[in-house]
Amino acid sequence: MTRHATILTSAAALVLLCVAAPSRAQQTPAHSARAKELGKRVKCMCGGCNDAAGSCYHSGGTFSGPCPKALEMLTNIDAQVASGASDDAILKSAVQEYGPTVLIEPSKSGFNLAAWIMPVLVPLIALFAVWETVRKWRHRGEQTPAAERGTVGAPSRELLDRVQREIGKD
Amino acid sequence: MDIAGSFALLLAFSVAVYAFLAGITGIITRRTLLTKSAQNAGMAVFLLVTFTVGALEYFFFTDNFSLAYVAEHSNRALPGVYKFTALWAGQEGSLLWWSWLLSAYAFLVLFLNRKKHPELMPYVGVVIAGVQIFFLTLNNFVANAFRVLGAPDANGVMRVAQLADGHGLTPLLQYPEMVIHPPMLYLGYTGFTIPFAFALAALLGRYPGEKWIHITRRWTMVAWCFQTVGILLGAHWAYAMLGWGGYWEWDPVENASLLPWITGTAFLHSVMMQEKRGMMKIWNVWLVFTTFMLCILGTLLTRSGAVNSVHAFAQSSIGTWFIAFLAIVLVVCVLAYWKNRDYLHSDNELDSLVSRESSFLFNNLILLAACFAVLWGTLFPVLSEWVVGSKISVGAPFFDKVNVPIAMFLLFLTGVGPLLAWRKTSTDALKRNFMWPSIGGLLAGVVAFAFGDRQFYPLICLILSVFVTLTIFSEFYRGARVIAARENVNLLTAVGELTMRNTRRYGGYVIHFGMVMIFIGIAGSAFNKDVQQEMRVGQSMSIGQYMILCQNFDSLANDNFQSQRATLEVFKGRKSLMMLYPERRFFPASGETETMVAIRTEPLRDLYVVYAGQDPQDGNPVIHAFLNPLVKWIWFGGIVVVLGTGLAMLPNRRTAIVLAGAHEKSWDDAVPAGTPAREISAVTRGANAND
Repeated sequence: MTRHATILTSAAALVLLCVAAPSRAQQTPAHSARAKELGKRVKCMCGGCNDAAGSCYHSGGTFSGPCPKALEMLTNIDAQVASGASDDAILKSAVQEYGPTVLIEPSKSGFNLAAWIMPVLVPLIALFAVWETVRKWRHRGEQTPAAERGTVGAPSRELLDRVQREIGKD
Repeated sequence: MDIAGSFALLLAFSVAVYAFLAGITGIITRRTLLTKSAQNAGMAVFLLVTFTVGALEYFFFTDNFSLAYVAEHSNRALPGVYKFTALWAGQEGSLLWWSWLLSAYAFLVLFLNRKKHPELMPYVGVVIAGVQIFFLTLNNFVANAFRVLGAPDANGVMRVAQLADGHGLTPLLQYPEMVIHPPMLYLGYTGFTIPFAFALAALLGRYPGEKWIHITRRWTMVAWCFQTVGILLGAHWAYAMLGWGGYWEWDPVENASLLPWITGTAFLHSVMMQEKRGMMKIWNVWLVFTTFMLCILGTLLTRSGAVNSVHAFAQSSIGTWFIAFLAIVLVVCVLAYWKNRDYLHSDNELDSLVSRESSFLFNNLILLAACFAVLWGTLFPVLSEWVVGSKISVGAPFFDKVNVPIAMFLLFLTGVGPLLAWRKTSTDALKRNFMWPSIGGLLAGVVAFAFGDRQFYPLICLILSVFVTLTIFSEFYRGARVIAARENVNLLTAVGELTMRNTRRYGGYVIHFGMVMIFIGIAGSAFNKDVQQEMRVGQSMSIGQYMILCQNFDSLANDNFQSQRATLEVFKGRKSLMMLYPERRFFPASGETETMVAIRTEPLRDLYVVYAGQDPQDGNPVIHAFLNPLVKWIWFGGIVVVLGTGLAMLPNRRTAIVLAGAHEKSWDDAVPAGTPAREISAVTRGANAND
């Protein structure tokens, strides 16, 4: 299709869209609030985006809203919601259908538990290490005679010697 | 021209190798002439890479589609500014751009220090040349931007071929922020090479004292500032271009840019411990090493396709090169540290947990915890695939849950840390410094709660933001009051004088205030609303206090794209505020469609409108409107951070020393009685010793 033909087609489509209509706009798409919330916990499996199905905007697509795959997933969730399935059951069913990648965050079981534990455990270990270091420093500081400790604004002999050496070198 | 460009690139590689080898030989044999020659070679690399970049730009501007890179990332109809920026649109060109920025930094460092630090600079030159060799190896032998297109002629002999037109620049990159976002981010990434080079050089050469830190302080701040601007511009681009109403999605590539920024921030804080008290030398050296390695790791993630990302370059084998380089850097750093670890012995030790030193320790701990959490979440899908054989997703909800509490604690320390004295803070000083800010914060929390804010983290964020802001303003106020009284000037003049006497300290406060603004802006996202509706001409939709009336749909076209545009009138009550024109642009060269979001921005909220296109089911046009509170605070906060960084880099105007009596009590508390220091104190509390 040539560029002019494309423009003409677009313009014709727009003219059709511009036909006067009732002033009440229709909200879209119509999925239940719970389906939308659950949709935010599963990934859109279209392969073309990294969005959650419940908030798929599909950048670069022909429509910046839920792509057909996201809509299909939301409709499926909605059907399960209507049948009275629990959140866990709906998410499990999504995992069965698409594999563990479908969950937007790691589950809290098996190896995936490490994803949640480590960001807490490692800082705690680091905190303990810092605490121990500080404790040792203070302990050593208390054992050092006050005269040997550095004082603010009163540089030690050692420091003055070093400054002298550095000045000499540069 | 392609041969000239290729040749200059190869020559740059050879000259970098010479700079590296001659530098090492000069250091070992202590021949000054050789080390000078190596440094001159280091500067020459910049000229050669500049010529190479110029040659590639020449191909873009002359629409020479015989070069594969130009054909893949440009087309005749592409506007001139995007022809220029197409340089860094793909793997090969962006790596060349990286090399150019690195060589520019190297040139500046070597030139400005050519007559200074004769014992340190040869090592610095060698380290920088080593990094340059790696990137120039990629530019020459792995991802060469001067690859020509070939096609067999009638006799089956391969000839240079030229396409009639290129494939065009991806529409996502055809946006004003994309003109400056990648250079800013790359200036950050490459800029961290300079403190890395100085740290490694000081360690290898056992350079005495903290001088390397003084030399690199401004370089580190420059790199950090560019990284900050780069990250924020990227966030703004995502906000204004992608059309999903947000600005940060915890995408692996976004995370990759955040990691060195976090460790760089930690370094900028902990470095003061080394300057003032001679402490944390090992920590600082490793923070710089880690920051540089995270820059390389970030590049590896972006370019190897190891993790899924909307931003990533095409999957390629280039990751192996980065892994090898990362391994080499790690081995060199470990060996250099192991051999010279006695050189990094602390001069002082901590006296009290309630002190500036301990606040820096905790600040570093929290920043590193945030860095680990982001890195862990980013790499966990890869780890999971290795361990259990299945790749899982780690999306935004995970990062939010893990990082928000860490960020709150960090915000708390932002307020507490600067008000603690070095060595030890007395209980009286604690009460005096923190009572009013704490009351102010809690009061703000009560008011927000009374007005209906029941969300935990936004409420905590508000309380802490007010607390930190009050601590910052009280610091300015108390310092300025002393100056105003002594020099008989008004408070505003005294604030200026105070700031200029200790730019680093007060610039730091300005940066903290900017960060508070950013935190407030981010907290606003908890109250986002959105409505998506089919809308035809004459129909309306409501969101918050706004009503949007559809006035028209039309189409526009130029050589580069065809656009479908909605004309929407925005009302607040009955008052018409403005027209918004959200668009969808179709780019024939690449066959892709992108949104152009229309935003009405106010200090307290953004009305963000996307023309989503025609509903795939019924063909009706769909408008998606978002009401995003406080987003503007993020961008203004970023500007304040940049201004604060600029301020902190300025030299102090002067330091006025006066007799005792002018000092404040918290400083008094920090100094043991009977020390000579007590006899004098700086008017600007800590101008000399209390940064």
